[in-house]
Amino acid sequence: MKWQMKWSRIIAVLRKEVFHILRDPFTLALALALPLILVLVFGLAIEFNIRELRMAVHDGDRTYQSRGLTEVLGSSGYFKLTNEVSPVAAMGALEGERAKAALIIEKNFGKQLGSEQVARAQVLLDGSDNSTVGLILGYLNGVQKIAEHKFLPEVASSNLEIRTKYLFNGELNSRWFTVPGLLAIVIAILSILLTSLTIAREWENGSMELLLSTPIRPLEIVIGKLVPYLVLGLGAATFVYLLARLGFGVPFRGSHFVLIPGVLLFITAYLTQGLLISVITRRQQLAMQLSMMTGLLPSILLSGFIFPIENMPPFFQVFTSILPAKWFIQISRGTFLSGSGFAELATPFLALFVLNGVLIMLATKNFKKDLEP
Amino acid sequence: MIAVDIRKLTVKFGEFTAVDQVSLSVRKGEIFGFLGANGAGKTTTIRVLCGLLVPTSGHVRVAGYAPEDGLEKIKTRVGYMSQRFTLYDDLTVAENLKFSGSLRGIVGRKLEQRIEELLEFVGFSRATGAFVKDLPGGIKQQVSLAASILHDPEIVFLDEPTSGVTPGARERFWKLIRELAGKGKTVFVTTHYMDEAEHCERIALMKDGKIIALDSPGGLKASTFRTPLLEILPSRKMAEGSWLPQLRAHPAVESIEPYGMRYHLVISDPARLGEVKAQIPPSFEISQTAPSLEDVFIRLVEAGFIK
Repeated sequence: MKWQMKWSRIIAVLRKEVFHILRDPFTLALALALPLILVLVFGLAIEFNIRELRMAVHDGDRTYQSRGLTEVLGSSGYFKLTNEVSPVAAMGALEGERAKAALIIEKNFGKQLGSEQVARAQVLLDGSDNSTVGLILGYLNGVQKIAEHKFLPEVASSNLEIRTKYLFNGELNSRWFTVPGLLAIVIAILSILLTSLTIAREWENGSMELLLSTPIRPLEIVIGKLVPYLVLGLGAATFVYLLARLGFGVPFRGSHFVLIPGVLLFITAYLTQGLLISVITRRQQLAMQLSMMTGLLPSILLSGFIFPIENMPPFFQVFTSILPAKWFIQISRGTFLSGSGFAELATPFLALFVLNGVLIMLATKNFKKDLEP
Repeated sequence: MIAVDIRKLTVKFGEFTAVDQVSLSVRKGEIFGFLGANGAGKTTTIRVLCGLLVPTSGHVRVAGYAPEDGLEKIKTRVGYMSQRFTLYDDLTVAENLKFSGSLRGIVGRKLEQRIEELLEFVGFSRATGAFVKDLPGGIKQQVSLAASILHDPEIVFLDEPTSGVTPGARERFWKLIRELAGKGKTVFVTTHYMDEAEHCERIALMKDGKIIALDSPGGLKASTFRTPLLEILPSRKMAEGSWLPQLRAHPAVESIEPYGMRYHLVISDPARLGEVKAQIPPSFEISQTAPSLEDVFIRLVEAGFIK
C-alpha cells in the first residue's frame, strides 16, 4: 500500500488550487474583504465601552469618606452622577429609567470605615439590560479598588490580581480586548469554511475520483489542497495583526514567538476540522452549513470573544473547552495585552495540542475509510 | 494475451450486493462493452478494475497485476474516464492536461509533447488557453479522453463517455475508440446507447450485479432470437390497437413489444407464421427484420427472457 510521497504531485495539486482560488471571486472576496469588514464592524461600529452612564446617588452619610467615594465614581468618567434626596428617590430614578444604576450610601459609612469595620455602600442595577450590567460591574470593581486605595492604601497594594488588570488595559478599552479576539474569528472563517468547501467541491463534481484513479496518495491531495489555505489564513491573520497594531493602537506586550506558534496550532486545528466536515458531508452546501454551525458561530458566541466564559452557566464553561477558539483567544489576548509567555499560557497551548490531536485522528480515520480502498 | 481477468468478483456495500459473482476476461486490444441499466453494477465493476475499490471477494487481474500487488501498479497501467465530467471548469485545457500529467509523473518537455500529440489525436483544434467551461460537451469529452490516456495506459476504461453529447460527436468519439484499439489498447466501455454497443467486439449485459449474457453483438442477437422477428408498421398515422390483446394471447406469439409507432413481434413457432400474420389488420405493414441490440436488451433485461 505504501509508496513514496512525491513533492511533484503535491505541487501539482497546490498549483491547481491556487488557480481555483484566484479565479473564484467568492473565495477571493471572502479572504480579502471578510477580515476587513469584521475588523471594522467589531472594532469600530460595536462599542462595548460605556461612558457617562447615568447613576442616581443618595448619600445618606454626608461625611468626608462618602463624598470621597462619590468623587471617585464621578471622576472615573464612566458614570454621570445625579443626587437624589432619599433612597426611594434613587430607586425611582432606576425604575423610571432615568438611571442605569443607583448608589445608596448609608448613614454610618464613614464611621465604619474609620473603625476598621466593613463599610457598606449599596449599588442597584437595572438587570433588564444585562449587556450593560456586566460592564458596570466591571467598572465598579475597578472603582472600588481605587476607592480602597484612597481610603486604605495598604489593602490595595497587597491585591496583586487587580493591579495587573489595571496595568494591561488601564482604560478598560474594549477595542483592545476585541481586536485580538478577531484574529480567532477571521482564522476560523477562512480555515474551516474554505477547507471544507474546497474538498467537498472535489467530491461534488466527481473530480475526486479522477484524482484517486491516478497514483497520487490521499495525503498528498490533502497537503496540496490545504497549504494554500494555510497561507491565506496566515495572510489574513497578519492583516488583522497589523490593523490591530497600527489602526487601533493595540499594544503588543508579549512575544511573537509565543503568538505565532499559537496561530499555527489554531489554524491547523480549524483546517483539520474543515477537512473532517468535508469528508463527512461531501456536499458544498452541507459543508458550508456545518462549518457555520460548528466553526463560525461558536467561535463568535461561545469562545469568550463577546460573552465572557466566566459568566456562562457551568455546563457551557466546560463545553466551551472543546472549542479551539476559546484557547486561542486566551493566547491572543494574553500575548497582546498582558505580555504572557508559554508559562502563563501553558493551559491554552496544551488544550490546543490535545484538540489538534483529536481532530487529526478523527479526520484521518474518516478520510482513510472513504478514500483508501 | 489477457488484459483483464475477473473470477467470481463480488462487491458488497453493507447488505447490498452491487456486483455478484461476475467472471469475464478481456483480451488485449479488444473493445469490450458493458451494457445495463443504471445500478446494474457496471460502474462498480470498473471502479474495482481501476483500483478505486477493493472487492469483497473474488480475483481480479488487470494488466497482469492483482490489487494485492499494490494498487499503484494497476493505477499506472490503466486510464479511467469517469461517468461524470471530471475536468476542472475554471482551468484551461492546457492547465487541466498539465495537471493530469503531473499527477502521473509526466513533466516538462515530455509532457508538452504528449499533450500536443494527444490533442491532435482527439482532433482538438481550438486554443489550449480556452477555459473548459466554455467548451461544448463533445469537445470536453475529447479533452477528457486525452487526459485519461496521457500516461499511455495499456487499458482504458470509459464509463459512459458519450452521454449528453451530439450524435456527430458520438460518432467521432467511437472513431477514436477504434483507433485506440488499433494501437493495441484494450478499451472497456459502458454505454446506454444500444447503437453504440454494436461497435464493441463483445458485450456483457449486466442486470442486478450479474452478467446475464456475454457474446459478440451478432452472437447475442442469434442466441436471443432463434425464431423470426416481425416488424409491424402502421400505414396510417393513427392506427387502432384493439387487435393487440387477441394477438398477444395467440399460442404462436411469444412477445410483442412496442417500438414508438411500431411493434416488434417474436414468433415461437415459425411454422405458424401465416396464421399469425392473418390476425394483423391490413392497415399494418408486416416485414421480417433482423434484431437490433435494443431488441436483445429489451428481451433479456427488461422482459427477463431466459434462454
